[in-house]
Amino acid sequence: MAKYTLKRLIMAILTLLLVACLTFLLMNSIPGSPWVSEKAPSQATLDALNAKYGLDKPLIVQLGKYLENILKGDLGVSLKMQQNRPVLDIIKEMFPVSAKIGVFALLWAILVGVPLGCLAAYNRGKWLDSLLRIICTIGVSMPSFVVASLLLTGLGGNDQSMFPTIFKASLGVKSYVLPCFALGVYPMCYISRQARSAMLDSLGQDYIKTARAKGLKNTAVIFKHALRNALIPVITYLGPQIAFVLCGGFVVESVFSVPGLGRYFVQSILNRDYPLIMGTTIFLAAFIILMNFVVDILYKVVDPRITLEEGGN
Amino acid sequence: MDNNIKRPKFGSLQPDIEDLLNLKPEDFAPASEEQKASFIQDRESTSYWRDAWRRLKQNKVAMVALGVIIVLILFAFVGPMIVPYDYDEFVSGAENLYPWHYSLEDQRLIESVSGNQEERLAAAIELAEAEKGSALSSIELAKIKAQITTTTVDIDEFIKENGIKYKAFGYSVGELERKEAGESVFPHVFGTDRYGRDNMVRIMIGTRVSMLVGICAALLVLLIGATYGSISGFFGGRVDAIMMRIVEIIYSVPEVLVVLLLSTALNPALLAFQSSGNGFFHRAVGVLGPNLISMFVAFGLLYWVTMARIIRGQILQLKSQEYVTAARALGASSGRIIKRHLLPNCVGQLVVTTCLQIPSAIFLESFLSFLGVGVSAPMTSLGSMAADALKGITTYGYRLVIPALILSVMILAFNLFGDGLRDALDPRLKK
Repeated sequence: MAKYTLKRLIMAILTLLLVACLTFLLMNSIPGSPWVSEKAPSQATLDALNAKYGLDKPLIVQLGKYLENILKGDLGVSLKMQQNRPVLDIIKEMFPVSAKIGVFALLWAILVGVPLGCLAAYNRGKWLDSLLRIICTIGVSMPSFVVASLLLTGLGGNDQSMFPTIFKASLGVKSYVLPCFALGVYPMCYISRQARSAMLDSLGQDYIKTARAKGLKNTAVIFKHALRNALIPVITYLGPQIAFVLCGGFVVESVFSVPGLGRYFVQSILNRDYPLIMGTTIFLAAFIILMNFVVDILYKVVDPRITLEEGGN
Repeated sequence: MDNNIKRPKFGSLQPDIEDLLNLKPEDFAPASEEQKASFIQDRESTSYWRDAWRRLKQNKVAMVALGVIIVLILFAFVGPMIVPYDYDEFVSGAENLYPWHYSLEDQRLIESVSGNQEERLAAAIELAEAEKGSALSSIELAKIKAQITTTTVDIDEFIKENGIKYKAFGYSVGELERKEAGESVFPHVFGTDRYGRDNMVRIMIGTRVSMLVGICAALLVLLIGATYGSISGFFGGRVDAIMMRIVEIIYSVPEVLVVLLLSTALNPALLAFQSSGNGFFHRAVGVLGPNLISMFVAFGLLYWVTMARIIRGQILQLKSQEYVTAARALGASSGRIIKRHLLPNCVGQLVVTTCLQIPSAIFLESFLSFLGVGVSAPMTSLGSMAADALKGITTYGYRLVIPALILSVMILAFNLFGDGLRDALDPRLKK
């Protein structure tokens, strides 16, 4: 266990390093310098500024400095959107809103997706299975902006209506309904498809036959033996889904004007506020990688059959 | 049928005897000469592709999906030649058309009730002022105004009472007059946008962009992934270990974030490159647009890993086969063995994985275009059309619905066809 955890941890750190280096290189590949303004500063001023901020040093030294700053939690300051405000501050303010929506979206996706998948597996080959399969295939074929904007057209209304189209924190739960629903459709369908095949796999196993041969009741066989084992592979898909929900949040938050990190990230991209883009990318990447790591470890903890050192595919 | 037959419970070990009971005595009759002949015919050796095609043909869902894809290809590539408008052509007088219209007489009829709203307002104010004998206060003015504007709501009633019906397709007034004069005018089937650009042509071009991006990105992934995977799998040992660690790292990079980052950061660099010279590559950047190129770069950098993993697994299985040993004994080089012996043997996997890559590339392209970092104007794509439509969503809902629908249908068709192809080419994977 310890060896596996260590290995995964090293991989996670390497991945994060790759993302950080990539962002650094991209930041430096952008033409122009930070000191360009209406009044061209003299060469002496430029040199002094470059020296002050370490921009005269070789690229590799700058990269080292950049990584060091990241470790200290210094992601730079915003250039345009909120001038000179530290990026980390902005993230701290925006992220909770996004996280809340993401958590609820994922929650309903799991709570609905898993039972639907099991239901489909249990009714394999019947009309219910076909119906659910059609719905879920359509669900994974619709980009989240399509779902979000169709919901907006179909159900949205003003502040007083059941589902306000413009997110307002003061409206409470009401304004969370549509964004969470829109965000959860894709993961729900995806999870339900995975749960179906996992459940079918599980139902074909020998221990199910044993359980039936023992004369256990149908419900006991399904819930105690089949479902519990079918859930394990579903957990593996949660890691990528967390990333998806966070990134799908960009679109959903833009459509519903949610003041979350996703929308802000997109706005900073459109405004070309580079430090903000880089900082947010690194933060979100770190979060996603961490979540993947946690899910992977959890997966091994839940299923004791998997040999840890092999990595298990 | 006998209802007393107890159906076995789900998962039960009892055999399902219903299938056996359904057999009729005729089913046990000896085969006729014709049937025997066709049986022998069936057993003739078939090539890999013919066999796969036979299996694919039986899959109704996949065939329907293939039909939809062909229709969409015709729509995207032949359609713009038929429609006489250009995707960036402003048709003056045809701004904000709906995909439906009223005939000229009906329009005149409606105008006679509603059109002169301002005149009626002026008349009503005059009348009230004459009654009161002095100028009206702002509250009274607002009241009259409100009354006049609310009466216009009755237009809907008026239209219903007179049995005025929508006619299909959008025409501007000028176009209707020309049509009445005997000219043939091509309709705006899906209406126009707020600059008077024909929506149908824009949707066709958008579909074309999405398809091209999807197919090109998938081919890029195929090229990089297959090369990398086959080298890693064939050489094995330390080479494999290192190459697969790299794959693992790239695999866990959150792609969407990096793609967004890349398309932002590469854009100015590519623009600077484009304006720096006039060579072949400079012009290529100009034609494709910097955003599209950065999207391809992102795809090339990040999305090949799945393909590489799958191909590596296949090569690992195949390289211990006798024909590889034979080729090696005959002195074939590693490159030749990979190219001539190993890759052709995993062609099924290559085709299926490439095909399933297309919808995910389309997905990503529309996502980026929706956020405004995809294809750059005046070029259009389904995603950016949907984003534009959000501004006038309550009045012009069709502008969102049509591109969104076509996009979803396209992704769905590619997904279903890819699934069908997988079942046909590699029956072992079927679940």
